[in-house]
Amino acid sequence: MQTQRKKTRLQDVSRRTEEPLVTVTAEDLMRLPPPLDRVEEKAPYSPLSEEQKKRVECALDGVSALSLPKPKNKEEEDKLVEQFLGGLRKLLSQNDNWSFWQPLIQSLESCVRCQTCSDACPVYVSSGNQDIYRPTHKSEILRRIINTYVKKRRKLLSKLTGDDIELNWPVVARLAELAYRCSLCRRCAQRCPLGSDNGLIGRELRKLFSQEMGIAPKELHDSGTMQQLKVGASTGVTPAAFGSMVEFMEDEIEEKWGRRIKIPVDKEGADLLLIHNSGEFMSWIENPVAFAMIFEAAGLSWTLSSEIYGYEATNYGTWYDDVQFARIAIQQAQVAKKLKVKKMVMAECGHAHKGLIVVADRILVGDLNYPRESFLPLLEDLVCNGKLKLDPQKNNFPVTLHDPCNVVRLMGIVQPQRRILNRISPQFREMEPHGLENYCCGGGSGFAIMNSNNFREWRENISSRMKLKQILETFQDVMDPDVKKYVCAPCSNCKGAIRDILSSNDLWEKHGIYYGGLVELVANALVDLKEPFIEWEWH
Amino acid sequence: MGALVFFFFYGSILFFIVAVALRIVRTVKAPVHLHWELYKGSSVYEATDWWTKTHSSFVEKLCSMALDLLTLREFYHRNRRFWYPLIVFHIGLYLLILWHAWLFVRAVVMNVETASAFGWVWGTFSTFLTFVGGVVILWMRVTDKELRIYYPPIHYIKWVFVLLTLLGGVYAVDVHFGSKMPALLKYVREQVTFADFEHKLHPAFGPALHIAFASAWLVYLPFSHVFQVFFRYYHYLRWDDVPNARGSEIEQRIKEQLERPVTWSAPHIPSGKRWKEVASEAHQPPGSRTR
Repeated sequence: MQTQRKKTRLQDVSRRTEEPLVTVTAEDLMRLPPPLDRVEEKAPYSPLSEEQKKRVECALDGVSALSLPKPKNKEEEDKLVEQFLGGLRKLLSQNDNWSFWQPLIQSLESCVRCQTCSDACPVYVSSGNQDIYRPTHKSEILRRIINTYVKKRRKLLSKLTGDDIELNWPVVARLAELAYRCSLCRRCAQRCPLGSDNGLIGRELRKLFSQEMGIAPKELHDSGTMQQLKVGASTGVTPAAFGSMVEFMEDEIEEKWGRRIKIPVDKEGADLLLIHNSGEFMSWIENPVAFAMIFEAAGLSWTLSSEIYGYEATNYGTWYDDVQFARIAIQQAQVAKKLKVKKMVMAECGHAHKGLIVVADRILVGDLNYPRESFLPLLEDLVCNGKLKLDPQKNNFPVTLHDPCNVVRLMGIVQPQRRILNRISPQFREMEPHGLENYCCGGGSGFAIMNSNNFREWRENISSRMKLKQILETFQDVMDPDVKKYVCAPCSNCKGAIRDILSSNDLWEKHGIYYGGLVELVANALVDLKEPFIEWEWH
Repeated sequence: MGALVFFFFYGSILFFIVAVALRIVRTVKAPVHLHWELYKGSSVYEATDWWTKTHSSFVEKLCSMALDLLTLREFYHRNRRFWYPLIVFHIGLYLLILWHAWLFVRAVVMNVETASAFGWVWGTFSTFLTFVGGVVILWMRVTDKELRIYYPPIHYIKWVFVLLTLLGGVYAVDVHFGSKMPALLKYVREQVTFADFEHKLHPAFGPALHIAFASAWLVYLPFSHVFQVFFRYYHYLRWDDVPNARGSEIEQRIKEQLERPVTWSAPHIPSGKRWKEVASEAHQPPGSRTR
């Protein structure tokens, strides 16, 4: 297959062409270890249909995450470019963008173009080092546009500073898509010797498009934050549906544990309010079931909430929109206040950890500034201080840990999950690299739920490729399908992304690689369990 | 011409002080941003009831900053190849800055006639390190594909200017002052104590050239990456674990910020309202996307 990979210059971003700047081919892709070490023949993503190409912008790399409609005429183009420029000015204004002005300016001004960050980016490396996916690529384009169109540097100076990018609609459209080729894992920011955060620049670009131009992936906005604000959860789960799910959980617990418990819901004054990603109720009910069993076994005073906003930890605003973020965080804190619990505890959802515990720290004031913490230190206390009766031999199969970026690099929770696994899983093995140096699952920042057009293929074959490589490398010595293996991913979005790469590469059927959360392993080790908690049934 | 150098030099010092002061004011007055930091290792969030635990102290952060700046340890860990010339350049530069400070003090507090060659060795060695580091950095910036990409022309000019400044210093010390420390210190004393205006208004070529270079750097430095690095530490842009406690100064500042109007224009954001009001809205008008 002939590779179309070519060097792209920054100035290419303003090129008026129907053809994408880059089309990633099978030959470009980073090689994988066995059994996926053959050179693939299939392109990593399908081209859009002719009809789609006529309708939506895809001139960056032939992928459309946003389904961004093409402007009908020059007037509409000009209006959109003007809107973009207006948003850019707001982004750079302390008054309009107080929420992120300082780190944004820091990141824009401190880059020394050493490209130390490039090799840190899983998308850049997995794609065969495509320039457009460099962490610095979008930042440098933005920086040059700012110098020319916001700071209005003179032409002579522009030549010297390299600020020679013409701002037109193709630039705006490509930047909009480019903001959704970075999963905001911020591995690049961790690598930057100067502290420049290209992940944040990507996030601020997303914000500009959403807050000023009303442009965002429908999965994040319309069926994400808007739906959550309307019905209570981004999955569409309503309070009534949640009630039925709790009953189902109680049935499941009875079946597995041989005893029926009443899951506490809306218990006023409980020590802790546990909030799950509602995706767990929809796709992995065993996860909230395991939490309930563990908390009951430990005799904790806890509760779930059936209040609207009280059973959904997600806040997609974290990834693209400060206003939506603040709205959701405030509603979630209101629930805790109403229930008069002592603290809120985030279950296995990475961005909910970062969003509600950390980012919202500078939104929630007064009695809404409720104590909030991760489930991990609590679980560590239960497992490692003998508060649960556990038999590690029940987990005597190879287990590896995927570190959700939001929990580890972005929050500094690194060791509790390891101490837990070392206690309950005799065959626990680290993937490399891990901890703060971990790689994103490829589904971060909303990618895991974004499936429009050919974006899902891009995610599975490029964005998640590094994680796939890591998983295969970790289990190279036990690839026999009869040896069941477990990728522990204590985050809903990560779990979804890992499910998809395992599934599309037949790694469960052919090599026995399974996935799940952390609490499932703890529940599986409970000594008084009638049946194994982990059923090894693909879903 | 001499008067021009004189005014340029003292003007640049004044400019430097004012520009740095303005940047510091801008940084200190910047709004409290949302928590967005990264972590180097385990954080306070690994503990239950983390808000009751102590956070890393100012001294710890200061030590971390000093180590970062003196050893460029982030480059050491992340980009070793580039670190070698960078550390040579920076060690030379730090020694050179210290040397200049020593010159000013030595010239005023001790008899300049008794100065030994120690000062000359120090200055020459520092200049040599800085020059070698600078040449290798420039060479790498020209030849290395990764270091060349997105590097604007003006930065190459900057590096050439660095090297010219160093050569200007060598010319002043070794040609004009003949590598003689007493002569150099005597000149410095005149500058510091304003003893001889004749020398200021009609400076010799060597010192004038070096002063002109120094002045240009004083004008540039407040806008350089160097200062950005300092501000990064000031505002805890990374590894900030100071929580917003009820009744704290941070909370007060956030409350003030929530009183600001929301100025963004997308359909899901009602204009004219304050942040506090907009953020408290739960149910949104349907069909809010424009595109």
